[in-house]
Amino acid sequence: MKLSGLQKQVIHLYRSCMRQVKHKPIDTQHHWRKFIHAEFVKYKAIPKKQFSAIEHLLRSGDRRLEMFSNPQIKDIS
Amino acid sequence: MGLNMIRSSLPKPSLVRGIKTIPQPPGFIVGDVNDAYVPPKPSKSHGSIHWTSERAISMAMVPLALSPFITGASTVIDSTLCAVTLAHCYTGFQSCIIDYIPVRVYGAYHNYAMYLLTFGTGVAAYGVYDIEKREGGVTNIISKLWKA
Amino acid sequence: MFRSINRLNLLGLRRSLATSAEQRLKSFHIYRWNPDTPEIEPKMQTYEIDLNACGPMVLDALLKIKNEQDATLTFRRSCREGICGSCAMNIGGTNTLACLCKIDQDNAKDLKIYPLPHMFVVRDLVPDLTHFYKQYKSIQPYLQRETNPPDGRENLQTIEDRAKLDGLYECILCACCSTSCPSYWWNQQEYLGPAVLMQAYRWLIDSRDEATNLRKQMLQNSMSLYRCHTIMNCARTCPKGLNPGKAIAEIKKQLAFD
Repeated sequence: MKLSGLQKQVIHLYRSCMRQVKHKPIDTQHHWRKFIHAEFVKYKAIPKKQFSAIEHLLRSGDRRLEMFSNPQIKDIS
Repeated sequence: MGLNMIRSSLPKPSLVRGIKTIPQPPGFIVGDVNDAYVPPKPSKSHGSIHWTSERAISMAMVPLALSPFITGASTVIDSTLCAVTLAHCYTGFQSCIIDYIPVRVYGAYHNYAMYLLTFGTGVAAYGVYDIEKREGGVTNIISKLWKA
Repeated sequence: MFRSINRLNLLGLRRSLATSAEQRLKSFHIYRWNPDTPEIEPKMQTYEIDLNACGPMVLDALLKIKNEQDATLTFRRSCREGICGSCAMNIGGTNTLACLCKIDQDNAKDLKIYPLPHMFVVRDLVPDLTHFYKQYKSIQPYLQRETNPPDGRENLQTIEDRAKLDGLYECILCACCSTSCPSYWWNQQEYLGPAVLMQAYRWLIDSRDEATNLRKQMLQNSMSLYRCHTIMNCARTCPKGLNPGKAIAEIKKQLAFD
């Protein structure tokens, strides 16, 4: 299946989130994975034609990724 | 809201569908939220020199357009007027292309548009040459039309 | 004297009675969008406001709606006197500050309020100005000097040099002008926009600043400055009555034979 540009961007965001997990302490990493997964699943039902909603989620997702990449943030529940 | 529904249900024209645009970073934010925006590389030929030459061309058009009324038709003045008008049109359309088909979004299509513009200008330049040679210049044609 | 006070009281009472008797309802159509439910598309919500029980400015009406009708309505506001630039929004088709915009007292006409055009919306009337601030940061809006002042205390400036900054330093960066500029709409990512360019000019002509060449260098490309086509929406919309278009023209003049 050929992915659209927006779908590629979403996958890119997901992958960069997962990559960022490796920089967190080992014993909290599964918390992070669970959190990221839950955040993405929350909006799974959004139809792929709702570009503005998906773009907004991408923007806010990017911001949150940047915020959580801070090495001082170690754990999440 | 209703408009959006209509828009999404309409099929896109094939020309638009065929053009692939470059995806932009979310929120136009490159790098950190706190990083300063990084401007394109400085280049005077695209900046001040381009702007100054644009103004010079437009200013040159005024005396060139008025002089045939005083001196009468002459091939030299006439062909310069035509050339300057052509250059003026070229820079005008160039501006439009930079505005509406930016490299940032359209990539190679920006260059194609520029080639098309250059080609069109070339064709027009040949037309000007033809008019100068056969009809004796634009001023001549206008004066003929005026009398007719 | 006692009697006159009494009469005044009576008059006041009568006036308040009169106002409570007749209501002047005006409808406000306000753009609503909630990021918590992104799948629901943005919509216009209508609120009825009694103009007799409301302050004169649009911000008063918005606060009244938030206090009395709908606490979920979201907008930025801070100083309510046009000095912070928080409450910039599109009111009745023009970008202004809600705190400086009088409500049209004709209650037959509806008023439409949108967030600033062509900006990403965070929620309801709150736009995302991150990129705008990043652009502002890129012009280095601070004094840059190689040398220390001769008296070791402050950088002095003549009265004439100071006068050059009038009409530039008053800008509060509300982004009304930038978001009203069609060039900024199309090329927001690279074109700096009137507000930021006016600040660039403010630092270019500051007699105390020594980084002029660096500042000019930064604008030497086809996008940052030269996407201004003197449309002049910026000067028309500026809630502080400034003229960013003129400042941009002055920069172009300075750069012309650089």
